[in-house]
Amino acid sequence: MSEIDSLKAQLQALQDKALELFAEAADLQALQDLRVNYLGKKGKLTSVLKGVGKLPPEDRPVIGQFVNATKSVLAEALDKAESVLATKAREMRIEAERIDVTLSGRKCAQGALHPVQQGLNEMTAIFTQMGFETAQGPEIEDEFHNFDALNIPQEHPARAMHDTFFFNAEGEDEALLLRTHTSPVQIRAMQACVDAGGEPPLAVVAAGRVYRCDYDVTHSPMFHQVEVFKVDKDVSLANLKGVLQHFLSAYFEKDVPIRLRPHYFPFTEPSAEVDIGCVFCNHKGCRICKGSGWIEVLGSGMIHPNVLKAVGIDGTVYSGFAFGLGVERLVMLKHGIPDLRLFFENDVRFLRRMGA
Amino acid sequence: MKIPFSWLKEHTPIEKAPEVVADDLVRLGHEVESIDMPRAGVKGVRVGLIVEMKPHPDADKLKLLKIDLGDVEHLSIVCGASNMKAGDKVPVATVGTSLPNGLKIKKGKIRGEVSFGMCCSEAELGLAEDADGLLILPQDAPVGEEVGEYLELEEAVLDLDITPNRGDCMSLRGIARDLAADYALPLIEPGDEVVTIDDSVAAPKVTVSAPDDCPLYTACKIEGVNVSASPDWLQARLIAAGLRPINGVVDVINYTMLDLGQPMHAFDADTLVGNIEVRTANEGETFTSLEGKEVSLHAEDLVIADSQNVIALAGIMGSEPTGVTNTTTNIILESAAFRPARISITRRTCGLVSDSSMRFERGVDPAMIAVAMDQVAQMITGLFGGKVSATTTVGDAEHLIQDTQIKVSMRKIEARLGVDVPESADAVLERMGFGIEHQGDNLLFSVPSHRPDVRLAEDISEEYARVIGFDAIPTELPSLATISPNQPDTAIIDAVRLGFVQVINYAFISADEQRLFVADDGKDLVLANPISEAMSVMRRSAFPGLLNTAKYNMNRQQNGVALVEQGRLYDGSMSQRQETNILAWLMAGEFQGDSWYEKARKADFFDLKGAVEAWLSSKGLTARFIADDEVQGLQAGQTAKIVVGKTEVGYIGKVDSDIASSFDLDSDVFVASIDLDQLHAGKKAKFQPLPEFPSIERDLVFLFDKDVTSESVLQTVKKACGSQLVQAHIFDLYDGKGVPEDKVSLGIRFVLQDAKRTLTQEDSDQAMQAVVDAIAHQFNAELRG
Repeated sequence: MSEIDSLKAQLQALQDKALELFAEAADLQALQDLRVNYLGKKGKLTSVLKGVGKLPPEDRPVIGQFVNATKSVLAEALDKAESVLATKAREMRIEAERIDVTLSGRKCAQGALHPVQQGLNEMTAIFTQMGFETAQGPEIEDEFHNFDALNIPQEHPARAMHDTFFFNAEGEDEALLLRTHTSPVQIRAMQACVDAGGEPPLAVVAAGRVYRCDYDVTHSPMFHQVEVFKVDKDVSLANLKGVLQHFLSAYFEKDVPIRLRPHYFPFTEPSAEVDIGCVFCNHKGCRICKGSGWIEVLGSGMIHPNVLKAVGIDGTVYSGFAFGLGVERLVMLKHGIPDLRLFFENDVRFLRRMGA
Repeated sequence: MKIPFSWLKEHTPIEKAPEVVADDLVRLGHEVESIDMPRAGVKGVRVGLIVEMKPHPDADKLKLLKIDLGDVEHLSIVCGASNMKAGDKVPVATVGTSLPNGLKIKKGKIRGEVSFGMCCSEAELGLAEDADGLLILPQDAPVGEEVGEYLELEEAVLDLDITPNRGDCMSLRGIARDLAADYALPLIEPGDEVVTIDDSVAAPKVTVSAPDDCPLYTACKIEGVNVSASPDWLQARLIAAGLRPINGVVDVINYTMLDLGQPMHAFDADTLVGNIEVRTANEGETFTSLEGKEVSLHAEDLVIADSQNVIALAGIMGSEPTGVTNTTTNIILESAAFRPARISITRRTCGLVSDSSMRFERGVDPAMIAVAMDQVAQMITGLFGGKVSATTTVGDAEHLIQDTQIKVSMRKIEARLGVDVPESADAVLERMGFGIEHQGDNLLFSVPSHRPDVRLAEDISEEYARVIGFDAIPTELPSLATISPNQPDTAIIDAVRLGFVQVINYAFISADEQRLFVADDGKDLVLANPISEAMSVMRRSAFPGLLNTAKYNMNRQQNGVALVEQGRLYDGSMSQRQETNILAWLMAGEFQGDSWYEKARKADFFDLKGAVEAWLSSKGLTARFIADDEVQGLQAGQTAKIVVGKTEVGYIGKVDSDIASSFDLDSDVFVASIDLDQLHAGKKAKFQPLPEFPSIERDLVFLFDKDVTSESVLQTVKKACGSQLVQAHIFDLYDGKGVPEDKVSLGIRFVLQDAKRTLTQEDSDQAMQAVVDAIAHQFNAELRG
């Protein structure tokens, strides 16, 4: 065998052996070792090349070509084996990192806004967006703001209907009480306007707690009201209807029909009770609306001239509308809550469900 | 007010169905509570004659009755009532009947005696709220007939809720007037009965010494009355209208009150001494009502008196000894006008309510005083005989029943309603009794005596609104000026975002609960008429309410709670009372339950402190927490004042375990409260350029004396590092094995950065050296290994 043939055979054997080893390589590191072992500076191929010097010069290019061919075969095989192994390694890693995605997520502390608070926020937002300004007043009130200024004199039958909580008033000049409605804020807001030398227009929304000495399945001694009023020149009953229609549709998030029924409140004239088309049966008549298709939601009216007089606003120039609504009642209707007492039991299971 | 439909039709010829009329009444401003058909509930109850009554052999209180129902055989019934006798007619519910109260009649054995039915009271027939004994039916009731049919209960009865301004509608005539006007039907006028006056009977002598409270008083005497039960039709009507028959005279008066709206009173003339005087009471004078209740009177109360006693509280109730009974033969009838406010106040101070007072305090039409008197006198003499005296009248009746004239601008009325009033409305109002004359824009409005509630232009606008119907008023949004925008209060929303559940507790608590967290300094605001002792004092701390809520929930399978409440606290003397807006938190029990990634952990001080800090930071505020061992109800060593700037805004701490366990809470309970009124708005976020150069992080661990506070350490560190320190915080705290007993190891992590250049190793070494020196100087603490 000539020198060159022997060299070729050597290379061929080396290549066969290398390809075999490459195929068997267990991981990328083993493959890297093989690359160094065969193709490195001190690798097997290089050491074969060292024998090239012994060849006659005319054979050298031939064998050189042969070596380069072998080199590229090996390099290609290495690359391929590497990519196979890399894919396999990635697959193994992915498999190893597999998790149970159905396990619960780590809990973020989650709170809940009380449903009454949500109602207050939603209602107040609707009115402020309509241009009503918010106002607040004390919960401990005097008889003037809670009754007299609202055209409910001492002997008025309506005064007895209010089930008022009074405070022990030994040695006090005036009887103090827990406000029975948010209407005193109406008086205070108008007084503040007049005292500051101002004049209407006034457009106010006042939300807050009110108290009645009444405690049973359908009455809570403390509950929430939202009071809304507007005083300006030429405010009409038609305006009241407009604001009510807008508010009730916005709050119930649908076009609810409304109905005003003539009624009596000392502080408004004319007065009207306001019904909405029953939200449970869509105005068709059901158990909750007692078949009538209507549900009473609030009381309203045009501010009585005696009320304007009590705060020093000229009733011949200005007129106004006012209404007050029970927050709990509207929230119960909107969310189908059956029992008023749930609001004040504060069972966190209820609160979390409603607060979500 | 119960309106039997057949009675209504006697006042105006209505042809519409009760349901339609009910809807129209609602439109006219009369709330219809219900349309009852009492008959529907009593089918199977028949008129029975008691033919035999024997005591039960084995029970003192039971009777054995034999009842004739017109059938072949008599029925045996065991009965527990005692007001009947043999020969009486009573309602008998036969086997298989269902009564309005849900009771189903079955054949039964009572103490060994078989009973085939039940004799009924008004209550059992659904005619009254409660009743004392059986309903004894009139003697001429046909045996065997359905009681419902006999008592004319088959008709509809409308139950109306009359508003306090419409005293005129507390009668059949008043309701009929509104309906007749609306339907354009005639209103049938009462009183063409002629009463024959017998001059042999002396008219009562009356003086009125309180004419302001009693502008008109009329009285007449009827002698020789033979009082017996009123006729069936009358009794049936009273029952249908919700009143119980008493005796003939009282029934006629009650009937007339329901019919015409005028409450009257009858005295047994033979029980009176001397003449009648209408006067104010003497302070402390006593009066025993018909119901047997004795009341002590005030000087301004209006009374009817004879020369010795108060015989009636004017307009409210007569006295017990002077009332008409079945043995009365001579009576004095009273028909009068009383000032509504007077009746209202006395009725309340005396705690007496009657059908009469309910009408007088709402306003009674003085035009009916004479009409009602005539009707009653005529009915009494017609039914029970007797001779009628002339009527004594004190006061100016003419003046009292005059129309009131009002002149208003029609344009103002239309502006108030937001609609042009159609001419057709005038006709309806005229049928209601108003007089209307238009002179250009001027409206001359004449108001009849039955409508004292109409006095102002605004009242007239309401009358027009009712007549036009509120549905006819257009729906128009007013022009709404945009007013200065309000900053919405986000306090509670911010707290809820941090994982707390908002609760709303009552503003009143018990005095004992108040004392848990607030010392008794005389500044409690105490309710005079609380629902109960547990709700009698205005709260000065939100903690009792929160503890109760925690207890409520921990008793319902909650392992832990995180609650927040926004509300007010109330204190001060009456004249210097104060309402403070606060936000209060409570955490107790397991903060998080066991999970696959973490073991359950109970809330501690720092869980709540972290929440309070995060809440403050959402407002742009930071606070200092200063240990405070003197907060009532909170545990020394685990309680701190919360100070923002220089203002103490609240406190946080662990509830004394004795208090917690008194609320059944075993876990540690942490609470915090912040006075929202003391918080001013924090700084608005201001833009700062992001740092261009990298920061360096360094850690140092020192061994401190155990009583060191992290606040003082960090303050020292900040001072030592100077402006390059971006942040320093405790990243490790250890006092376990390897650390001497009186020492604690604190690891501090520093982040250093310079806005103008990259910091070098030397820079940070220098800063760390400064820290080591300062700590050594300040705390005598050394770097730990």
